[in-house]
Amino acid sequence: MDDNKNMQDGLKRRDFLKVLGVSGAGATLTGCSTEEVERLLPYVVAPDDITPGVSTWYTTVCDGCSAQCGMWVRTREGRAVKVEGNPNHPVSQGGLCAKGHATLQHLYHPDRFPGPMIREGSELRQVAWEEAESLLAARLSSAQNPMLISGRMGPSLNELVNEFIEGIGGIRVSYDAISDAPLAEAARIVYGTAGIPQYDIENARFLLSFGNDFIETGSSPVAHTKGLARMSSVDTAGSKGRFVYLGSRLSLTGLNADKWIPIRPGTEAAVALAIAAVIAGDDPEVAGPYSNVLQAFNPQVAAQAAGVTEDAIFELAEDFASQAPTLALGPGVGAHHRGATAANIAVMILNHVAGNVGRTVFYDARMNGAMSAYADIEATVNAMASGESDVVMIHGANPVYSTPPQAGFAEAFAQVPFKVSFASALDETSEMADLILPDQHFLEAWGDSSPLAGVFAVQQPVMQPVPHFESKQTGDVLLSVANRLSGEGDVTTFYDYVREHHRSAHNDADGDFEDAWQELLRTGMADTRSEEASALELQSPEVALSFEVPTFDLPGDLTLLVHPSPRFGAGEFSNSPWLQELPDPVSKIVWHSWLEMNPHTAELRGIREGDIVTVTSPHGSLEVPVWLYPGIREDVVALAMGGGHTGMGRYADDKGVNALNLIPSISEQLSGALVTTVTSVTVIPTGEKRRLATVEGSDDQHDRMIAPAVALADLGHAGDDEHEEGGHGELRELQGVGGFIPVPADEGAPTAFPLEGSRHGLYAEAQEGPRWAMAIDLDKCTGCSACVTACQAENNVPWVGEEQVLMGREMSWVRIERYYEQVDATQAADLDVRFLPMICQHCGNAPCETVCPVFATYHTPEGLNAQVYNRCVGTRYCANNCPYKVRVFNWYDYTDAVPEPLNWQWNPDVTVRANGVMEKCSFCVQRIREVQNRAALEDGREVRDHEVVPACEQSCPAEAIVFGNIRDPNARITQVSASERTYRVLEPLNTQPAVNYLKKVTFHEVASVGHEE
Amino acid sequence: MSLVPEGPTARGAVPHPDVHTYDEVNRDVLRALETPGKGWWALLAVAAAGVVLFFSAWGWQLYKGIGVSGLNSPVGWGVYITTFVFWVGIAHSGTLISAILFLFRSPWRQSIYRAAEAMTVFAVMTAGLFPLIHVGRLWHAYWLIPYPNSRFLWPNFKSPLVWDVFAITTYFTVSATFFYLGAIPDIAAARDRATGLRKKLYQVISLGWRGTDSQWHHFGKAYIFLAALATPLVLSVHSVVSWDFAMAIVPGWHATIFAPYFVAGAIFSGVAMVITLVVPIRKIFGLEAYLTTKHFDAMAKLCLLTSLIVLYAYLSEFFLAWYSGEEIERTAFWNRLFGDYWWATWTMLVCNGFVPIMLWFRRIRHSIPALFVISIFINIGMWFERYVIVVTSLHHEYEPFAWGIYRPSLTEMALMVGSFCWFGFWFLLFTRLLPPIAIAELKEVLPAPTRKKTGEAY
Repeated sequence: MDDNKNMQDGLKRRDFLKVLGVSGAGATLTGCSTEEVERLLPYVVAPDDITPGVSTWYTTVCDGCSAQCGMWVRTREGRAVKVEGNPNHPVSQGGLCAKGHATLQHLYHPDRFPGPMIREGSELRQVAWEEAESLLAARLSSAQNPMLISGRMGPSLNELVNEFIEGIGGIRVSYDAISDAPLAEAARIVYGTAGIPQYDIENARFLLSFGNDFIETGSSPVAHTKGLARMSSVDTAGSKGRFVYLGSRLSLTGLNADKWIPIRPGTEAAVALAIAAVIAGDDPEVAGPYSNVLQAFNPQVAAQAAGVTEDAIFELAEDFASQAPTLALGPGVGAHHRGATAANIAVMILNHVAGNVGRTVFYDARMNGAMSAYADIEATVNAMASGESDVVMIHGANPVYSTPPQAGFAEAFAQVPFKVSFASALDETSEMADLILPDQHFLEAWGDSSPLAGVFAVQQPVMQPVPHFESKQTGDVLLSVANRLSGEGDVTTFYDYVREHHRSAHNDADGDFEDAWQELLRTGMADTRSEEASALELQSPEVALSFEVPTFDLPGDLTLLVHPSPRFGAGEFSNSPWLQELPDPVSKIVWHSWLEMNPHTAELRGIREGDIVTVTSPHGSLEVPVWLYPGIREDVVALAMGGGHTGMGRYADDKGVNALNLIPSISEQLSGALVTTVTSVTVIPTGEKRRLATVEGSDDQHDRMIAPAVALADLGHAGDDEHEEGGHGELRELQGVGGFIPVPADEGAPTAFPLEGSRHGLYAEAQEGPRWAMAIDLDKCTGCSACVTACQAENNVPWVGEEQVLMGREMSWVRIERYYEQVDATQAADLDVRFLPMICQHCGNAPCETVCPVFATYHTPEGLNAQVYNRCVGTRYCANNCPYKVRVFNWYDYTDAVPEPLNWQWNPDVTVRANGVMEKCSFCVQRIREVQNRAALEDGREVRDHEVVPACEQSCPAEAIVFGNIRDPNARITQVSASERTYRVLEPLNTQPAVNYLKKVTFHEVASVGHEE
Repeated sequence: MSLVPEGPTARGAVPHPDVHTYDEVNRDVLRALETPGKGWWALLAVAAAGVVLFFSAWGWQLYKGIGVSGLNSPVGWGVYITTFVFWVGIAHSGTLISAILFLFRSPWRQSIYRAAEAMTVFAVMTAGLFPLIHVGRLWHAYWLIPYPNSRFLWPNFKSPLVWDVFAITTYFTVSATFFYLGAIPDIAAARDRATGLRKKLYQVISLGWRGTDSQWHHFGKAYIFLAALATPLVLSVHSVVSWDFAMAIVPGWHATIFAPYFVAGAIFSGVAMVITLVVPIRKIFGLEAYLTTKHFDAMAKLCLLTSLIVLYAYLSEFFLAWYSGEEIERTAFWNRLFGDYWWATWTMLVCNGFVPIMLWFRRIRHSIPALFVISIFINIGMWFERYVIVVTSLHHEYEPFAWGIYRPSLTEMALMVGSFCWFGFWFLLFTRLLPPIAIAELKEVLPAPTRKKTGEAY
């Protein structure tokens, strides 16, 4: 591209960014063609920002979902290779979810459109942007009621689109596949506020979730995960917030609760109001205009409706009233039933009665979220079907897939004479389009975001557009088309538009705009929030409210719960092989769909795990294998969204089923949101069965203390209980005789390294260097699995596909183990599910090292258990002898299957492994070296604590992972590891791991698990 | 078939009552080298086809990657290692019979030791292929061999796999030498009868053997020396192989009983394999007079003894797992009996522990067909023993969440079956190229020629 020439002239950083920004537009203006001869040319004069071998970081905003987390992007030689959470971002505060990491794969996705396409018959023909834009301009100039269906957009683009639509006299329809409309509507009804409320989960001491899966979906999963982890983990004072989940199915969020009250679907309002009524007691006036509502609900009624005991509700009410500050979260995006808005209102009343407004829940924060009403889409379908619009444009949405087939969107859309899609990659909707104007990925394009009133973040391009695709960002396209239509021809770029947008909001009293803009680009955001939270009063509802249990379509004997997938959302992420191969945090299944069913229900029906069943609702039917899940009510079955794509690309198509096929196209009465928990189903075995592609071996710890817990009441009493050590007194004695004495776990002392008696060879010099170690706090870990994808991205870990996973060959270096301890779907009871991220333990006394015949795995003087890929012969003895089973083997050349340009994502600092070698977690040794080299160059200073951050720690939204030099007494790792909760997995084997786990803390008594009878 | 018209009825301890003269021995044994029957050609064709299958499967695996096996995580070792240990085990009884029984002057070894030794050599040749088949990067497998190199890297002498390299290569060298040395006088006998190309070949490989006193003197010294050298190897090789498992910390592997347990198992399977091989040889080449029920009776007794040792080892493993009180160990052994691979464990127990009980009966020990059938059972049982040890221990290890299931793939089965053909191929060639029974030693136990029947050849 011509920009390459410019780059050789030695630009300043500022100019370079400009070049990045306008490159898309520039390419168009100069009529860039693909006929250019490619030559390998070294940088004669290297650009300032690119030093080969040194990474450059840019801040931007993750556009993966409406949460808009802050992002740091690492680029190497002009390619984005890793995305990370920006800890300075006011909403997400660091950390990134698995979906965020996977956006990188969408950037380099081979299923992206190679350029603008025009339909000719059944074929799409690639054309030049010039031609495509003229065509759009021509069609729009004569269009009747042109329509734009758009998903999430940043403020600038939103404004531009509004101007554009106004200019062409069109109609704009917002569409989010998953929408928080009932919450927004409830906030509007109850408080008259716009946007969705912001929650301060961190500072609540008692958290109630009415089926709100806030750490996986909803307004800000990363921020909420952080909040939950901080709230529910035990603090230095030995106090811990309690989390109770009310719902008919334990989502990932639910699995992190301390107690589960398995209420019937749709009874959230009754229970919330009953709790509020108990708290309000004799003074229902606290509920203001809703006092009459409170009077209508009491625990008896609610308990009967919800299928739990009255005592459970009283107990909840007592806790909720006494353990202030508390917080209740209404049914979230995963539990929309016919009374979703009312249920949210009920929870708002509960929060109000408990005095949480302005303390833990803020209605005036104007949190942005996905709030569009599905009802608009229903209207749009009618408009399209009746031929009202002859041009329909779609941006950032895939309604053909993400609306129930009953809505008839595809049929209506097909009747539109001219269909335009701005999709950057293939999907079911763009497949039908007549004109495709592929948008740029957010990492290539300019944009901005405002996740919250007062917070602005700029989304800046971090690299030139991926050259395989002639994409152009929609803002530029709209400006260009607008110029054609108006005939003015003064091309302004969307970059200028965004800048202008911010300049107009800039107050010159705060200094020069140019400086502020640069600062914005550097830090990624500007926070101008005011601290004050106003006290809000309840307003009388202007609409009639019914808090009764909603109806579910019959016939059918099991209620169907259709929920967004923690991995795929509503299916927009399904084409990412990382996410396809990421074990679902709940079921641990990859690559296909499953129906969740309680084991008891299944037993009664003679259904076994893996049986393929026909699920039939009044609206459709599909065949799907059953996965038995104790965390779901016996009268409920659940299906996740995101499966069953038909036109999205190579990694998404024909993987699983589309749950929307079972539900009707109905919008909730008050908010207009799509109702997903709406129907009952019958489940009939087909007689066929399949093996589930799961990474789970056993969900039971078999009393092996893999993930032990400690009761809150027992904290601070270490040593009182003889079982505390796991009952290995005699074993210790025996090991003492043999010269192997494990370091006692209960003192929390860091593992001795090197081992006594091993001070020879490499170890002889190991007295001074660091001993790298990691601590993982299981009281914080939510099992969200972000670290798994982060690791995969950082370390070039390949994906292997469904068939290989079925053979037990998943390659992931991080395995989030999930063990059930106590899960009771029949009554309100303590819940105890343990998550444990299992990685290479970098044992001081590693069983793998002694058995490797060729020293392919050995111990470095810094305590790392190194794996030398080039030296590995592939005997797999090390994997056999690893008690943690963290070694994975390259059974094939898996990386061969990675198509161009997906391989552009590969981290140049990490070897891509060949067929026949063993691999495993390296503690991100490349990052350690990078930091050590930097320190050496900076006058040979010491490596600072927390300077080395492995990918998993960086990604962890729950802040559960700490890495560092455990030799340094002041290091965080050393301090965290000194906890009395510290233990090491399978410690009696005397492997002396470098990974210290901190036990989960439970409110209930935990059975002491020792190896003695 | 009656080779000898008449003969003395009672010969006391003489093991071959129906053989009278040295000439008979030469004639009967060397006849096997002369006219190949259709049966032999048919068997050779089958074996050759199997060898083709074997190398095609291996080639396929090299081309595609080790992923064409069913191996996975956590089961990193499967059919290949099972088959490797099986063949190493088979290799044992040859040297046991030829060396140890030689040192103990056991009278029944002469007729069978040549076949047993050949079996040993070919079994080691087969076994030695499997670690190569098994590794992920065959082209780097030589890194296990200590050789001076520019990287100053030696193999890890702590690793039992390196011990394996030494054990197997040493064993192969010694047993092959021993086999060859013992065969020299017989090769010379064959040379004297052969013509053409064959004669030239035998002339070279008989190393100018003329049967002089001094040659016999040196031969005897060398033989007893090599026997003494080979004897500890019989015990050490399979001990080392067992340490591949016992040195690991895998529950079900990590046990001190492994070395004697494996040696006993090896002898057990080896003797059973000798029976399996010798029965058809005896039939096809009409060597009934040389391989009598006495020999089979002795081998059956050895089988019975080792079967009891092996059964004892099984039971003590189960007992100790329970007695240790160690939950993980207990689960491992419970899982063996009643887990996903129960069928393999029970196959092993029935074939190795219960079927050989029949050998307590003299009638069974004296029935060649019965012995043949039992030996097949033992072969199957011993293969499964290794399968049970390798697979059931690995698939349910320490981390319950990482438990998994292993299903052997077609490629693995092809290589396993092919290995039998590869072995059989060499063995069939052996039966036509070398006297399958040790002529010279057999003559030693015949009564000295008398002058009564003058004119007979010596």
